[in-house]
Amino acid sequence: MIQISHLRKTYDNGLEVLRDVNATIGRGEVISIIGPSGTGKSTFLRCLNLLESPTGGSIIVDGQDLLSKQTDVPRLRRKMGMVFQSFNLFNHLSVMDNLCIGPVKLLGKSRKQAEARAMELLEMVGLAEKAHAMPSQLSGGQKQRVAIARCLTMNPEIILFDEPTSALDPTMVSEVLGVIRTLAKQGMTMVIVTHEMHFAREVSTRIFYMDQGVVYEEGTPEQIFDHPQHERTRVFINRIRNYHYVIRSPRYDLYQLQGGMALFCTRYYLSEHIQHQVQLLAEEVLQVIPLDKGEVDLALRYSEECHTISLELLMPPGIVTVWKSPQFAPDALSLSIIQGLCDNIIESVDDTPEGPRVRLIFNLKQNEQ
Amino acid sequence: MKNIGKILLLLCLLTACGTKEDEHLSVYRNMDDLNGKKVAILTGCFQEEILEKQYPEVEVLRIDNAADMVQALVTKRCEAIVLDDYMVNYHSHSAKGIVPLEEPFVVAEMGVCFAKGPDTQLLDMFNAFLRQIKADGTYDEMYDRWMYHAHEAEMPHIPLSTDGKPLRVATCSTAPPLDFVKNGKLVGLEVEIITRFASSIGRPIIWSDMNFSSIIPAIVRGTHDIVVAGINITPQRQESVNFSDPHILCHTLVAVRQENAVGYALGAIDRVDATSFYDKVKDSIQRNIIDEDRYLMIWGGLKLTAMIALLACLFGTLFGGVICWMRMSRHTPLRRVASFYINLMRGTPVLVLLMIMFYVVFAGTSVDAVVVSIITFSMNFSAYVSEMFRSSIRSIDKGQTEAGIALGFTPARTFIHIVMPQAFKHVLPVYKGELISLVKMTSVVGYIAVQDLTKVSDIIRSRTFDALFPLIMVAILYFILSWIFAAILDFIGKKVG
Repeated sequence: MIQISHLRKTYDNGLEVLRDVNATIGRGEVISIIGPSGTGKSTFLRCLNLLESPTGGSIIVDGQDLLSKQTDVPRLRRKMGMVFQSFNLFNHLSVMDNLCIGPVKLLGKSRKQAEARAMELLEMVGLAEKAHAMPSQLSGGQKQRVAIARCLTMNPEIILFDEPTSALDPTMVSEVLGVIRTLAKQGMTMVIVTHEMHFAREVSTRIFYMDQGVVYEEGTPEQIFDHPQHERTRVFINRIRNYHYVIRSPRYDLYQLQGGMALFCTRYYLSEHIQHQVQLLAEEVLQVIPLDKGEVDLALRYSEECHTISLELLMPPGIVTVWKSPQFAPDALSLSIIQGLCDNIIESVDDTPEGPRVRLIFNLKQNEQ
Repeated sequence: MKNIGKILLLLCLLTACGTKEDEHLSVYRNMDDLNGKKVAILTGCFQEEILEKQYPEVEVLRIDNAADMVQALVTKRCEAIVLDDYMVNYHSHSAKGIVPLEEPFVVAEMGVCFAKGPDTQLLDMFNAFLRQIKADGTYDEMYDRWMYHAHEAEMPHIPLSTDGKPLRVATCSTAPPLDFVKNGKLVGLEVEIITRFASSIGRPIIWSDMNFSSIIPAIVRGTHDIVVAGINITPQRQESVNFSDPHILCHTLVAVRQENAVGYALGAIDRVDATSFYDKVKDSIQRNIIDEDRYLMIWGGLKLTAMIALLACLFGTLFGGVICWMRMSRHTPLRRVASFYINLMRGTPVLVLLMIMFYVVFAGTSVDAVVVSIITFSMNFSAYVSEMFRSSIRSIDKGQTEAGIALGFTPARTFIHIVMPQAFKHVLPVYKGELISLVKMTSVVGYIAVQDLTKVSDIIRSRTFDALFPLIMVAILYFILSWIFAAILDFIGKKVG
């Protein structure tokens, strides 16, 4: 239905928001766009109905190029509803007039027809009672439901949701999500920019993970949420927090490292017990690994989503052989402490710009937390 | 609280001082007695220079018309006034209590002004006409009628031609008995002379009634053919205009209040008569409104003021919309032009703009002064209104526009259906204020000879010497007019909202 290729958007101040976005949206699909703030999710959505004009690329809607000069953009927009973060109900019109203005002025319907349809839609979103209220008399959740109903009066083929619940109190989020859910069941094509991960997972047919001005990873909710392929996706999905420390020689500053770890644990509300475990693990691991063979990147990772903690080390390849050699035996005590603290230890080889490096991941025991 | 108390005390003291009678009355015999005193003089008259040069210690007060000078003298804003004899005679009859000093200030000749230039045909015709009426006695008859019996005098009927190129004559109707308004008609010695002249050469007349200070510029700019307003012949003026042969010989006098004149003892002064307030008001209404059918003139002035304000508001609003659109345009040159226009209009006094429009831009064209007023006030109003529009459009959340566009409206229709109705509500209260100030601002059109409400009150005051009543009356009329305008706007606001 919509084909987006090589979409670019650079603002006048030189900020490049969208670098190269390629995507296809089929009829009946529900697509959630997730990703960190400032990565162009909303800009992308707003490019789809030309609220923002793209700098380059093409958007083909039902075979019509949106960016061609001959295209009647206002006419095309009627097929694409949009729901805004800030609702944007017309403040000078009552709920009923908000719903009638489009059909009457744009679709040439009679006032009577428009009102009948508006009433149906208000009943669907549960606000028939408020038909004659002014927008200022409604709560945020009610406003957003009216805004969705207003969209539907134009009988759109697709609805674009731009963070529909971000401006709402937590208590009102569910009423709006409920309406969107109903629409999904009815088979409405929708593109939703959202931060509601559970909702996105439940309602979507596909997920776009956007980062760095591109669709970084896309897939079914299972693929994206359970088996993200890329590091950045993983970090985002699991809400992983990092603490980095670079060890350059055996005479590294242990107290500085431990201080940093303590601060990190405090920041993410980790218990003192966990903090000691993490510090102990780091100390023992650094005890058994020879540090004179090159730089070692140490990272402490905490996933807010899964509440797991791991210690990752990125090292020159040579060290691992040392790790596995018989010379390791004298430190049997350290090894048993490490094994006692960890669920498992994963070893892999990563290709980095500086050549192959070995990644060792120590996953801290879950029950210990 | 302490401060308020102090201010109140100060006010009481000031009022007390103000009402205190002067115990020692000065006696003025000649100009030398007036050294260091305030002396009023007509703005732009030639005696001004003499007064300043010969009596440098006199404090000069410049006033725009003779009636206000007499008022200034009577209300003790000044100690003496310098005025031509015929005016003093006229006024001492109307306003009791002013007396001329024996010694005249200066004796001078008056002439009729014609445009400077090689074409002196009209001037020659007038001079010939003047010689003829002086010879056949018509002049003496006229002189006697207006100079000595102005209060009873009637203008004789003089038939005027209806076709032919009209003579454009500027005068200043606040100079009785030469040029003044009686029974709603322009009359007086000079008016009669010019009318007879026009009759003799078979041309109709278009009169413009202007302020004395802007009357010479009128002929210099070529908006008029002839100017008569009791203008003295001076070398300075001869540089700008051609004078006819002297048509009136004028003794300029210095007039003072009765109690300051020689031979008037304190007891001889007429005390304020003890009529009741009600009678006084009745008398004022009779004199200022009913006599000489002045209510017709007031009604005419009111209509003119209302019309100028209404049309200026209408065109100003439309034009203001265009300016606002330019100011908010994406195209930099349009924005610059609009911005410059707004700054220019807001940075110039509307009176100055009015004079420029009348004496420079529309000089030499036959565009009516009322039309010039409407154009000028439209321009001024448009600048203020466009900025009001802009700020109220800006105050509408961008999301409203986006929602309209996303729904499928074109940007123009989004503006009409979504933004404008909301901006309208925002702009209405400030717009109302601006409209009211527009109504009041139009009171300066008298400067370019439009007989609006304020000008009418000047004319009435110059005849009745009632300082208070015409001013209060006009103030009330302006108030009512503004109130009606505001009410209409509120009504429209309710209809639309």
